[in-house]
Amino acid sequence: MEALNMKVLTLSSQPLRHLLRLAASSRPPIRPNLFFLRCSSSSSSSSPSPAAAPAAAAAAPAAAAAAPAAAAASGRGRRAASSSSSTSDREAVRAIRLKKVEELREKGLEPYAYKWDRTHSASQLQEIYKHLANGEESSNEKDQVSIAGRITARRAFGKLAFLTLRDDSGTIQLYCEKERLLNDQFERLKTLVDIGDIVGANGTIKRTEKGELSVCVNTFAILTKSLLPLPDKYHGLTDVDKRYRQRYVDMIANPEVADIFRKRAKIVSEIRKAVESAGFVEVETPVLQGAAGGAEARPFVTYHNSLGRDLYLRIATELHLKRMLVGGFEKVYEIGRIFRNEGISTRHNPEFTTIEMYEAYSDYQSMMNMAEEIITCCALAVQNKLKIDYQGTEINLERPWRRETMHNLVKEATRIDFSDFGDDLEMAKRVTLTTLGDGLDNKDKLAIGSCPSIGHLVNEVFEVVVEPKLLQPTFVLDYPIEISPLAKPHRKHAGLTERFELFICGRELANAFSELTDPMDQRGRLEEQVRQHNDKRAASLLKGAATEEKKEEDDESYEVTLDDDFLTALEYGMPPASGMGLGIDRLVMLLTDSASIRDVIAFPVLKIQQ
Amino acid sequence: MEGGPADEAAKAVADLAVDASSGDTQSKNARKKELKNKQREEERRRKEEEKAKLAASKASSQSQKPGAADDEDMDPTQYFQNRLKYLEAQKTDGKNPYPHKFQALMSIPEYINQYGGLNNGGHLEDVSISLAGRIMNKRSSSSKLVFYDLHGGGAKVQVMADASKSGMDDAEFSRFHSNVKRGDIVGISGFPGKTKRGELSIFPRSFIVLSHCLHMMPRQKAAPGSENANVKKTELWVPGSTRNPETYILKDQETRYRQRYLDLMLNLEVRHIFKTRAKVIQYVRKFLDDLDFLEVETPMMNMIAGGAAARPFVTHHNDLNMRLYMRIAPELYLKELVVGGLERVYEIGKQFRNEGIDLTHNPEFTTCEFYMAFADYNDIMELTEKMLSGMVKELTGGYKIKYHANGLDNDPIEIDFTPPFRRIDMIEELEKIANLDIPKDLSSVETNKYLMDACARFDVKCAPPQTTTRLLDKLVGHFLEETCVNPTFIINHPEIMSPLAKWHRSKPGLTERFELFANKHELCNAYTELNDPVVQRERFAEQLKDRQSGDDEAMALDETFCTALEYGLPPTGGWGMGIDRLTMLLTDSQNIKVLSLSLSRVYLHAHVQSCTWM
Repeated sequence: MEALNMKVLTLSSQPLRHLLRLAASSRPPIRPNLFFLRCSSSSSSSSPSPAAAPAAAAAAPAAAAAAPAAAAASGRGRRAASSSSSTSDREAVRAIRLKKVEELREKGLEPYAYKWDRTHSASQLQEIYKHLANGEESSNEKDQVSIAGRITARRAFGKLAFLTLRDDSGTIQLYCEKERLLNDQFERLKTLVDIGDIVGANGTIKRTEKGELSVCVNTFAILTKSLLPLPDKYHGLTDVDKRYRQRYVDMIANPEVADIFRKRAKIVSEIRKAVESAGFVEVETPVLQGAAGGAEARPFVTYHNSLGRDLYLRIATELHLKRMLVGGFEKVYEIGRIFRNEGISTRHNPEFTTIEMYEAYSDYQSMMNMAEEIITCCALAVQNKLKIDYQGTEINLERPWRRETMHNLVKEATRIDFSDFGDDLEMAKRVTLTTLGDGLDNKDKLAIGSCPSIGHLVNEVFEVVVEPKLLQPTFVLDYPIEISPLAKPHRKHAGLTERFELFICGRELANAFSELTDPMDQRGRLEEQVRQHNDKRAASLLKGAATEEKKEEDDESYEVTLDDDFLTALEYGMPPASGMGLGIDRLVMLLTDSASIRDVIAFPVLKIQQ
Repeated sequence: MEGGPADEAAKAVADLAVDASSGDTQSKNARKKELKNKQREEERRRKEEEKAKLAASKASSQSQKPGAADDEDMDPTQYFQNRLKYLEAQKTDGKNPYPHKFQALMSIPEYINQYGGLNNGGHLEDVSISLAGRIMNKRSSSSKLVFYDLHGGGAKVQVMADASKSGMDDAEFSRFHSNVKRGDIVGISGFPGKTKRGELSIFPRSFIVLSHCLHMMPRQKAAPGSENANVKKTELWVPGSTRNPETYILKDQETRYRQRYLDLMLNLEVRHIFKTRAKVIQYVRKFLDDLDFLEVETPMMNMIAGGAAARPFVTHHNDLNMRLYMRIAPELYLKELVVGGLERVYEIGKQFRNEGIDLTHNPEFTTCEFYMAFADYNDIMELTEKMLSGMVKELTGGYKIKYHANGLDNDPIEIDFTPPFRRIDMIEELEKIANLDIPKDLSSVETNKYLMDACARFDVKCAPPQTTTRLLDKLVGHFLEETCVNPTFIINHPEIMSPLAKWHRSKPGLTERFELFANKHELCNAYTELNDPVVQRERFAEQLKDRQSGDDEAMALDETFCTALEYGLPPTGGWGMGIDRLTMLLTDSQNIKVLSLSLSRVYLHAHVQSCTWM
């Protein structure tokens, strides 16, 4: 029985087993069900395999073709089956495997071992022995290896069994011959090892006639007995909710999911490398705060028992990092969790990770270079190229990236030059609505109508018309002052600030400014922000009272307070500086071609299950 | 100034109005608006003129003052008001008192490095250098010569501002420098040189103020002549050596923690505490990365606060209408990732516990936890020794550190991180030291009674509920932890104390667990992970019993986690370390607030309102 055939067999046998099991479980009596499961999970070797194996060997292509069909059928079958039958299915498997746990203990074997010393990982062996020819064996002293991992497939025959073992690095086949194993180990392997168990094995190296690198097992041990059956890949992929709720099952069934988290670690590590080599020092600022500042968002509120007061979870790290600059650190960064009490979507999770960095004596121009540097380093590290694919669109990350002002981008897209309007907000709105009217939905029209300033209006038009079209990396420069309360006024253009946001694939990835350092100006702007928020809040409260719409009222019902300590810090003098915040989850989405933020967060927040 | 744009805007508006559909009414509106704009504009001009007059009179009164020295006697509020007026005047003159950028060509430490070797009295007039930093000292020698101390990057250099090289006439020079205050952030371009007395300096050709310190900076309260003593103390503090906060310029603890930026500006060692913290984390990260561990992030907000025994913070998600807890430990999630096939994972991050605040406890603190498949607690003990001794060696140059364990009034103790660390078996050692014979069945009523008696006999206080776990914990604290000054592993805790640790392979009733203590405080907690789902559920059930008997710090059952174990967690060694506590030891800090940026004053003074910051 050779490996290539075996692969086909794996594909075909597993879904088939599910089909059979379903057939069995849909029958009312419990007994036969139990009986069948026993054969399928423990001794599938003896009964079904001899029959299946020659068939597969004879007609491998046919089996291969049949496999997906069978799998698809099983997938549908599973969904169609009532949940109670699949639960009892699991319970039955658990009962059988618990018996095996007992059996092992009776034999003096611990089904939950304490440790295992490995000499190699699967991928190391694949690399070291890649030149081993088909059918060749390497059984010198130095070729005695020890590996460990999860069994993801098994085929057993009379005196021979093949197991696929997967560890963190990859997979390798275990080639188990009855004669080579000590004592009754072969019988034990056949009766007690299930797919899903974690096993350690010692042996020598052999490449089978069909070219599958294998460990010829001399001894093995069950390190952890699994109690539940692993879902097949297809099932795991279809049940989206379960994937997130039980991420470990997702990762076992779909090894590529684990790759996303490996890449995520790589990206974070690259970011750190990039900023540390530029001399930035990592600091940690508080999560629990007396006032949530640095952004405009609804914060989470919690209560500290022994202090007897409310605390807020941070919505940004900005105001505290700037205090570090006042304190004399010239380059600081923090990679950390931010919390916003807002709805969840494919782009939003209530907790997400950002890097914020601040550099004294520099301005927003230099932060643009930093953003390019960081993102290209990360792209090269995980994709090894700068022309990457994101959800079917080719994104070209080759530097330099386009840099254009918000006003010009809006003008380009709408032919409206908002600098023509001066302070005439009404006129600007009217022109906007007449020019864009047909393309806007009611929500947009409403939003445009309620803009309190030209600056807000330009931004609104930008978000509706321009933002979704910014697929290739674009730095959008010089935001209106009204919507940028922490950015320094532009040195050349009144009414604008030295600020940019970076857009890729229509999404904001980074936000940066020349930081506002004038404490008087800052106080005025924050007070204005609080005033605007309170106006909105009052308005929606009124509206809420009138229409009894609790939901509306909720949107603005949180409080925004002034962070006086921050203003005092500025009064002690903050050096001219630039700062940038970059969303790490979104960057990971981009570089791993993930459609949803939930794909790049190991344990996303989900709605409560019904 | 804005007359131009405003007129243009009005014109543009008028033009547009003609184009628009309802032309007539609109242009009327536009005209009205134009009128309004003009009125507003006029009013603004009038106000500005008034301000300018005020500022001018202010400036002239200021220029009559002799110099900096007098400022220091001024009332702080008056000082602040004067500074505000000065800025106002600058703005009225059309000068931006907060420039956008200054190109500093090198940092002050680099400057010292490069030009520290100059001969006394030597100057390099043809070299052009620019430096930026904060002025922490100002001495006017005459109206034509002013000395400053410029601080930046943790170092300082003297600035010798000489009117003859400034490119300004004498009056201008004098006026300009009378407005440069201690605490201002400045940018200087000039040339390097040394004074005859050997002080490395920069001689400015241009000098601009980049940001203003509007408040009077605290100053060393000492005899006038000794002012230099603090600044002169250039001998660098290194991790592992002692500090003496009594000598700090800013001593008041409350101010130091409330306004950490002042602490950092004035007390030069403080920045090294934060840098040491960064280095500790960097070392841990590198150590684990080199062993192929993967850094991951798990949720800080959960439906269940699991993985430890502590009271959590509660919060609420509005949109989902869901109660969430702040995590108290990342343990369960990290083990789920190991189940998922990531064999070596770690997370460095914040944990939150809704508990009282004292010298070593803070509601949010940073830990590192790692999980290593196929390893057990013996392996992890070795790794711990390797990591900590290696770190101490790298950061301090040796294995022994000095620490003021008994306050600044007493001599510091020495803590020796030379591996291997001492190992003591918890129950064995306790029985030996306290001369006890604890009944073997630790979960029995008899044992509980025995330990209650023992506590009473030794006068070891244990607040109710007096569960066996809590009684043992108190006795261990009293008899064993007290002996752990040098790093010591206390190993093999009873099962009832360790719901997530695996039962000991050869000692019934015990687990394969260790805690590392140093300076009598727990630094690390680790075990061979319990991965038998059946036993895990039983342990959770035991915890529930403790919970019901009033111990609200007993652990809650996490069903998702138990299910994960049913899919099979490989044999795994797990480990957690408190980053803050370790940093305290390495920075001779006695109060967790000293080093934790996260220690905002909220924790010090609950009554103080807005309480953010480090």
